[in-house]
Amino acid sequence: MSDDSTRDGTMTENKGFEPKIVAYVCNWCTYLGADLAGTTRLEYPPNVRIIRLPCTGRIDFNLIVKGFEIGADAVLVSGCHPGDCHYTAGNYHARRRWILFRELLDTLGFDLRRIHFTWISAAEGKKWQQVITEMTEQTRQLGPYTDLYANGSAQDSANDLPSGPPTPFEFKTLPAEGALRESCRKLLADGTVKVVIGYGQRGPAILTRAEDAGRLVWNNRCVSNLTTYLKRKEIKALGKPAVVVKPCDEKSLVVLEKESQLDRKNIHVIGMACEGVGEPKCTFCTARTPRFADETLGEAAGPASLADPPPNRFAALMAMAPAERMAFWAKQFDRCVKCYACRQVCPMCYCERCIADKNRPIAIDPAPSAKGNFAWQIARAFHLAARCVGCGECSRACPAGIDLALLNIALHKAAQVNFGYDAGVDPAAEPVVGSYALQDKEDFIG
Amino acid sequence: MSEIISQSGLRQLVADRIAAGTIVSGPTQVKPKLVLYAVLGSPDDLLLEGFVRPDNSIKECVFPKQEELYGYRIQGNNIELTDGLTNDDLTNDDAPVPKQLVVAARPCDAAALPILDHIFNWDFKDEFYNRRRAATTVVTLACDSHGENCFCTSVGLHPAAERGSDAMLFELGDGSYEVRCITDKGRALFDGKTEESDKVGRADAGPEKKFDPETVRAFVDQHFEDPFWSQHALTCVGCGVCAFTCPTCHCFDIVDAGPSAGNARYRTWDSCQFPMFTAHASGHNPRAGQPSRQRQRILHKFSIYPNKFGEILCTGCGNCTRNCPEGIGVLTVATEIDHG
Repeated sequence: MSDDSTRDGTMTENKGFEPKIVAYVCNWCTYLGADLAGTTRLEYPPNVRIIRLPCTGRIDFNLIVKGFEIGADAVLVSGCHPGDCHYTAGNYHARRRWILFRELLDTLGFDLRRIHFTWISAAEGKKWQQVITEMTEQTRQLGPYTDLYANGSAQDSANDLPSGPPTPFEFKTLPAEGALRESCRKLLADGTVKVVIGYGQRGPAILTRAEDAGRLVWNNRCVSNLTTYLKRKEIKALGKPAVVVKPCDEKSLVVLEKESQLDRKNIHVIGMACEGVGEPKCTFCTARTPRFADETLGEAAGPASLADPPPNRFAALMAMAPAERMAFWAKQFDRCVKCYACRQVCPMCYCERCIADKNRPIAIDPAPSAKGNFAWQIARAFHLAARCVGCGECSRACPAGIDLALLNIALHKAAQVNFGYDAGVDPAAEPVVGSYALQDKEDFIG
Repeated sequence: MSEIISQSGLRQLVADRIAAGTIVSGPTQVKPKLVLYAVLGSPDDLLLEGFVRPDNSIKECVFPKQEELYGYRIQGNNIELTDGLTNDDLTNDDAPVPKQLVVAARPCDAAALPILDHIFNWDFKDEFYNRRRAATTVVTLACDSHGENCFCTSVGLHPAAERGSDAMLFELGDGSYEVRCITDKGRALFDGKTEESDKVGRADAGPEKKFDPETVRAFVDQHFEDPFWSQHALTCVGCGVCAFTCPTCHCFDIVDAGPSAGNARYRTWDSCQFPMFTAHASGHNPRAGQPSRQRQRILHKFSIYPNKFGEILCTGCGNCTRNCPEGIGVLTVATEIDHG
C-alpha cells in the first residue's frame, strides 16, 4: 500500500471501486492454504494483501487497527482450525482475544462488517478462494471505509450522552475517621508497617511517622483508588505499606495479587465500609464492606435503592449507529492532550515501560491526533480487558472530561457475558486473558 | 466616561468574526461541571458567567497540542521534504495564518502569552509560534469570582490584570460589559461596537495572598538535595496534567508520525513529569524518580526562568492543583514551602 494511494485517492465515486483488503494469516495453515490456491490455479480477486505472521495467537490487535489506518477497506485474520495449531493453542488464545477485541471495536464504532475472522487450513485452497471472493464482493458493496475516525475531524454534530441532573452532594466526615487514625498510628508506632497510604485533607496522604496519623481523614470525598501507589517505586522503597481501601478499590488488590504484582502478606489492608463517595460509579455500586481486608473499619448501611437512577450512559452509547459512535468518540478524543493521567492513576497499568512510550519503532502514534488518540485508547482499554475492576479513576482523572471508563465497561461486560468473569471479585477464578476454553464461542468466525 | 457593550452585542461581534472566517475560541460548557476553552461553533457556545475559570488554557491557540512542522517522503536513501498534510498547518511559508480571536480569556491566561513570547523568541525565533501569535487577538474578561485553587495575587497578578490582553471586559452586573481597549488590535476589534456610558465595571478582589514567591525561590535555590522533595512527591502519580493544563508550561517533544499517518514531523506537548522527558539514549535517566521531576517543575517556575527572564513562570491560575487527580500542584508545594 503506497503512500500515494490513500483512501481518498482511491476513488471518488463508488463506480469502479476496488476495495483493499489486508489479510493477517498464520504461517502454518492459512498462508499455505493461500499458497495452495495459487499452485492449483484457483482464481481469486487480487484485492487482498497478505501479511504472514507466525501464529494468530501472535497477531497484535493493534495490527487490525493499523490495517485500517493505512487504507484498508476490510481486514481479515485467519489461522489454523481449532485443534490444528502448530503451537498447540495459539489459535485458542487468539479466539478468546478476538471475542473481547470485537466488543471494544464495536464500542468505538468500527464497522464490524469490515473485520473478518476465519480458520483456513493448509489443505483449504478452495476455502481461501471462496472467503476472499466473498469478502471482496461484500466490501465492494459497502464502499470505501471513509468513516474511520470520523474522517479525522471532530464534528460538532456528534451526539453526546445523556447526563442526569446533578446529584445533591453533602460533604460529611464519617465516624470511622477516629478509628482509622488510631489504627494507623499503632501500625506505624509498633513497626507493623513502614508507610501508610491513606487520605488527607487535599487528596492522598502518605505517612511514615506515627505522630502524623492525625493528618488522615475519612469522609465521603475520599475518592482516589490508593492501590495505584503500591506500584510506585518510591513507595516500595519505604517498606511494608498499609493501604486504605474502599470495597471497590479492594478489587484491584485481588487482580494485582493474581498477576503476581504484590505480595499480599506484605501489605496491611485497612478496609473502610463505604456508602459512596459521590462518583458516577457509586450510583450503581452495591458493595458496602471490603471482604479481604486485614481490618475493617466503620459501618455502612445496605445499598440504597435509587428512586431515580441516573441515565445509563453505556446503553445510550450502544444505542447509536456505529458511525455515530465513532463520531462521538472522535469528538471526545479531540480534547485529549495525551497527559496519560488515565494510565498513571490506574492500578492495573503497571508496565515498566508503556507501549505508548516505545519510540524505536513507534508503536502508538505519539501525537494527540485522531489516529494517535484512538490508537492510544484502544491499547489502553484492551490491555485492561477482563482486568479492569471498574474503579473509574481514568474518567475522574481525565482533565478533558472524556468518559474513558465506558470503554472498560464494554470489555467488562464482554468478559461477564462470554466467560462469566468479574475482575477482582473471586480470587480463585482463572483470569480470562492468558487462558482459553475449548468451548469458547466462535459464531463470528467464518 | 467608559465604553460599554451589551452581552448580545458581544455575541454579535463573535458571530461576525466567525462569519468572517476568524477562529474564535472561548470558554464553553463541555459537559456538566467541565468548562474548557474551545473553538466556538456559534456565539451561543460562549460561556460568560457562573464559573471560576476553564480547566485548560489559551496557550493552545498559539502553541497547539500538536503542530505539524513538515511532511517528508523517504525513497531509497533520499529524504524529500514536502508540504504538510493538514490544511491548517503553517509548513508552507506563504500560507496565510488563520486569524484567531480569544474571547473571555481569564487574566491569568492572557498574562501567560508575554511569558511564552520570551521563550519562543529567546535564542531561536519560533516562526510557527510567532505567526500564530501575531494573528491572535485576546479579549480578557476580568474575574467575577475566585476558587480555592486560585492564587494570582501571590505571583503579582490580580483579577483585573491587563497583561497580555488586547482588550479587557468588566462585568457591569446588568448583562453588559465595560470595554477597556489596551492595544491597537483591541481597539480595531471593538471600533464602533461600543457605546459611551458612565458606568464603570468592577472585578473580584481576588484570593488573599497565599505564599511569597521570594521565599519559594530562596528555598528551591538552596535545597536542591532535600528530603522535602521525596516526601512531597510521594503522592504524585507522574502524569502530565499539571504541565498540559498550565498556561505557561511550554516544553515540547518532536515526534515522527510514521507512514500510517503519512510521514510527518510533529511538535507535541511534553511534560517534565514523564520519565521519557529526560531519558538518555544510553538508558541513563538523570531524573530517575518523581521527586526530581517535581523539584524541576517548581525550580523552573520560581528560579530558573526568573533568573533568565526576570519574572515567575506562573500566573497563579491554579490549574495544576485544580486538575491534578491527587490534588497537588504549585499552590500546595509553594504554600508548604512558605508555611513549613
